[in-house]
Amino acid sequence: MPEGRGYQRLKSRTSLEEILEVATEFERTARDFYTELAPKVSKQIRYLVEELAEEEQRHYDLFSQLRMRADIVEQIKQSVETPASDRRFSDCIHLPELGDHPDDQAVLQYALGREHAAMEQYQSLAESTPGGPIRDLFAFLADEETQHKNELEKRYYEVVHSGGV
Amino acid sequence: MSVRDLLSPFIAWKHLFREPVSIRDPFNREASERYRGFHQNDVEKCIGCGTCEAICQNGAIDMVIVEGVEGIKTRPGDSGLRPRIDYGRCCWCALCVDVCMTSSLTMSNAYKWVENDPDKFRYIPGVDKKEWDNVKQGYHRPDGHRLNAPERIEMPELEPAERIDSFVEIVGGYSVEQARLEADRCVTCGICVATCPTHMPIPEYISAVRDGDYERGLKLLYDSNPFSQICGKVCTRRCETTCAASHEGDPIAIRWLKRHITEQVPYEKYRDIIGGPLPATGKKIAIIGAGPAGMTAAFDLARKGHEVSVYEARSHAGGMTRYGIPEYRLPFETIQREIDLIVSMGVEMHYDTRVGTDIQMQQLQQDNDAVLLAIGLWLGRGTRIPGADHPHVYKAIDLLRRIRDGEQLEAPKSMVVIGGGNVAMDIARSVARLQKQQQGEINVTLTALEDKAHFLADPVEIKESIEEEINIIDSRGPQECVSDDQGKLVGLRSWKVLSIFDDQHRFAPTYDESDEQLHPGEWIVEAIGQMSDVSLLGDALTEKLEWDRGRLQVDDDGHTSEPWLWAAGDCVKGPDIVSAVATGHSVATSIEAMFEQKEAQNA
Amino acid sequence: MADAEFGKADRSQYPHRRPDGSLDIDLTSGKYLKLWQGPNHPGITGNMSVELTVCGDEVVEGKTHVGYLHRGFEKLMERRTFIQCFPIVCRICVPEPDFNEYCYAAAVEELAGLEIPEKAKWIRALILEMGRINSYLMYLGGQAGAFGQGVIGQWTTYARDLMLDRFEELTGARIYHMFILPGGVRDDLPEGFDERMEQTLQEVERTLDDVYDTMFRNAVFKKRAVGLGYVDPALVDEYGITGPVARGAGVARDVRKDQPYLVYDQLDFEPVTGRESDVYARADVRRRDLLMSVDLIRQILSKMPHKGEVMATLPNVLHWKIPRGETYIRGECSRGEYGYYLVTDGSGYPRRVNVRGPSYTHAMALLEKLIVNVNISDVAGLMVSLHTYPPEIER
Repeated sequence: MPEGRGYQRLKSRTSLEEILEVATEFERTARDFYTELAPKVSKQIRYLVEELAEEEQRHYDLFSQLRMRADIVEQIKQSVETPASDRRFSDCIHLPELGDHPDDQAVLQYALGREHAAMEQYQSLAESTPGGPIRDLFAFLADEETQHKNELEKRYYEVVHSGGV
Repeated sequence: MSVRDLLSPFIAWKHLFREPVSIRDPFNREASERYRGFHQNDVEKCIGCGTCEAICQNGAIDMVIVEGVEGIKTRPGDSGLRPRIDYGRCCWCALCVDVCMTSSLTMSNAYKWVENDPDKFRYIPGVDKKEWDNVKQGYHRPDGHRLNAPERIEMPELEPAERIDSFVEIVGGYSVEQARLEADRCVTCGICVATCPTHMPIPEYISAVRDGDYERGLKLLYDSNPFSQICGKVCTRRCETTCAASHEGDPIAIRWLKRHITEQVPYEKYRDIIGGPLPATGKKIAIIGAGPAGMTAAFDLARKGHEVSVYEARSHAGGMTRYGIPEYRLPFETIQREIDLIVSMGVEMHYDTRVGTDIQMQQLQQDNDAVLLAIGLWLGRGTRIPGADHPHVYKAIDLLRRIRDGEQLEAPKSMVVIGGGNVAMDIARSVARLQKQQQGEINVTLTALEDKAHFLADPVEIKESIEEEINIIDSRGPQECVSDDQGKLVGLRSWKVLSIFDDQHRFAPTYDESDEQLHPGEWIVEAIGQMSDVSLLGDALTEKLEWDRGRLQVDDDGHTSEPWLWAAGDCVKGPDIVSAVATGHSVATSIEAMFEQKEAQNA
Repeated sequence: MADAEFGKADRSQYPHRRPDGSLDIDLTSGKYLKLWQGPNHPGITGNMSVELTVCGDEVVEGKTHVGYLHRGFEKLMERRTFIQCFPIVCRICVPEPDFNEYCYAAAVEELAGLEIPEKAKWIRALILEMGRINSYLMYLGGQAGAFGQGVIGQWTTYARDLMLDRFEELTGARIYHMFILPGGVRDDLPEGFDERMEQTLQEVERTLDDVYDTMFRNAVFKKRAVGLGYVDPALVDEYGITGPVARGAGVARDVRKDQPYLVYDQLDFEPVTGRESDVYARADVRRRDLLMSVDLIRQILSKMPHKGEVMATLPNVLHWKIPRGETYIRGECSRGEYGYYLVTDGSGYPRRVNVRGPSYTHAMALLEKLIVNVNISDVAGLMVSLHTYPPEIER
């Protein structure tokens, strides 16, 4: 869903600070989503949702701090030179409807879907933006989401592809 | 006597003109290439098995604890001990080098060592640094010179053609002669004991096989494992992965020797050899789940004289061994014999009784002094790829249970299995047998994300599956369960996996999307993982209990955060029969300790 | 007997015997003297005593005393596994340990039903002949030394040392080789062994040429050795005499020929014999036997198969049980017939190991017979001529 609601909001921004502000906002929304979900899921898998909330919080902190830095352009430039590659493992996994009692696999599927969407969104923004600090920033954000997605895929494998012999 | 006899000796004078033949500098004469001099030990290769100590007829070698040295650590397969050699006793015979199971122990050709302190002549090669540590020359065990038989005695098994159309047990069992030869190969180091989750006295029962004293062997088995007959057939045998003999040869067939003991003792004698329960104590314990963990705890607790009730949702006991493992690996009869023996200790069985439905947890809590949760991993995980909700996409564990339950399944013409573990092999091989019986043709494809080298399945399972015409296609990432226009399942679409793990061995797959395949299958069976069905706990108890990353949190003894509740087996330790037995034992010990503590408080 | 007749009468009738057969010796008479030779002794390798009763400088009675070296090997072995016995047997005879290794290994192999590879047999024979050369070289030095001729020992020690170098490169040790073990031998010959062995053999031959000229063609040696210690061929069977002592008496007794073991049936040789049966004849038999060993080594090295295993497949030696049985394995060592009698009872330990060292008969019973009427100064030379290794008397 590269052309989603966030896409238009971001597309219209012109300064790094503004873009980071919106991105930070997205992370906050995600964090709040997981924080609210946590008490609803079975206690057995609550750890997973709590960890996801923590991770979003970390992203939130990262972007907020970045916004404050004076050498922001330099920082981003360094990061985008070594982009992470998308593993694509979970591309085929449906984005589930998180009902009242999602299981751990569903929660992870959902999280993967979110990260995937965010990754694609930033990628497509980067592609449609002419070279310069803004494009670098989008690329940076896309990379962050890709890395997060890859981390989640590892978790997915370890949770789901286990318990077998 | 003649004049010649007077003159001839003067020939000795010619030696005046000869070059001296003595060595001018005897201190720097190098010994020969294969000279047996001071010992060297590659401490990282050494596993501390102590076979050198065992063979030394002078008692010159002691296995000692070594601390703070890199490469030496007590871990599975390494005792953490290293040989210390006393040169006041050593006779340089090098039997220790000849018998060394890893070839870590060698001898340099150094032979000079001057020291004022006699105690210095006792040292740990490889740990106490010596100038000959890196000397290349010296005695190393020559090729082909072995003091122990490196090759395993082959187990008689049915040939693929004989076994493929039936569920008859494949493995035949050793004859007495074969078993003794195999038992002879064991060096009695005991490294396996530490690896075995339930610490069976392996060298001791192998020595019982050597002595032909099977009753002693059986007693040793059942003292540590009430599932000995079953483990003798299907144990995951981690012991064999750490066996000292595996370093330069085949590991000892520990599992088959255990099986051999159980086969040699007439079943009627088992009960007498093992011994019956102690007088009744009046303590009551409820156990949920009649699998290896639950029944092991039941066995231990019943023998202590406690009143044990086992609640089993299905009609037969045995848990995963009964409903998850195909009959060609584990016949029903073996399971039944095992269960009957345990039940004979005074265990009360409640079959077809599902806790949470037929009886509530609260009820069990009220009626008993302790409750044990041994519910296993009965929910199959799915890939949840597109099309995975098709009715002909199954979970392996469900299908295996139906087959073992005696259901007459009509096998599909073709089937795809997703997964590279033993469960995947089990379902592939079971359905292949049904196909052969019903259609005469086998058409089973097994795909997995992992490459064959990283399959979780036992290598023997992989080998036998291939023999049974299972088409194993490794490194395939499932993408979609494909159906035709009529909604009929036609197969699994997959991508080629180029690599699966990163350098930290964490999941990080890379795909070749251009290599797309459709594996034809009327059925698709998912065998990628399993989880526990904890719904029987109910919301309130679930909320009350502490959890650890999706599993019930238990301490080392299997005690949960609730004082009356313990948990054991696959649901806490992951899938493994012998680990389940081990946790069953520790839970029983923990419950027993709790009783004793209470009694002490009351007294 | 009147003093005037002394020296003319049959010396073997002196001193007189009482009707019960004991010697008529009155120590209080002042005519006789008790003299101990040993246990540290010039005549032999190892510790052993001879209790001499002398009259003047003539020995009238000699009693042998052993026990100074007893380490109880036979008993030790009953508490050791079959493989653990392998490193200790060599210690039963220090100068020529290989016969212990061979006889023990062959006995175990026979009772365990173990067939050893062909090449191992050749290497075993090679080692036994190398050991024989060493043993004889040591003997020659001792025999000459007992009569005051020190130089021979210096020369033969040099040649023996060269052979020890060959032992070292082949077996990994100079003295206790521990190379022949049940199942075969430890390893194949090292690279270039044949050439180095040939050089050593030539050096041994050169040394023996010198020894021949200075020892055997020596008026002093002949004066001392000829006629000393005569062994009547009739005694050979009566006293269980074997090896060079028997062959020196003209009895062609050699286990290598009489009951060929290893590869001796494929080697070309005849037992070396003498005629005079005195110290000189025995020394000469040994000298010629040594040269025959040189020839046998050449034969072995040329006829030996180039390729092949040297070790049979053993069961795990830690639990090696050998079925009930008994056997006697013998071989011709430098002193005569060396033998191992092994009894097994189906357990992992030998039930009984009995070692027949030829020194037992030669140095005890035979010496007591030969020593009578010998001059004190000839006792050492006589003992050496019986080639005594006390460790093999005291297993």
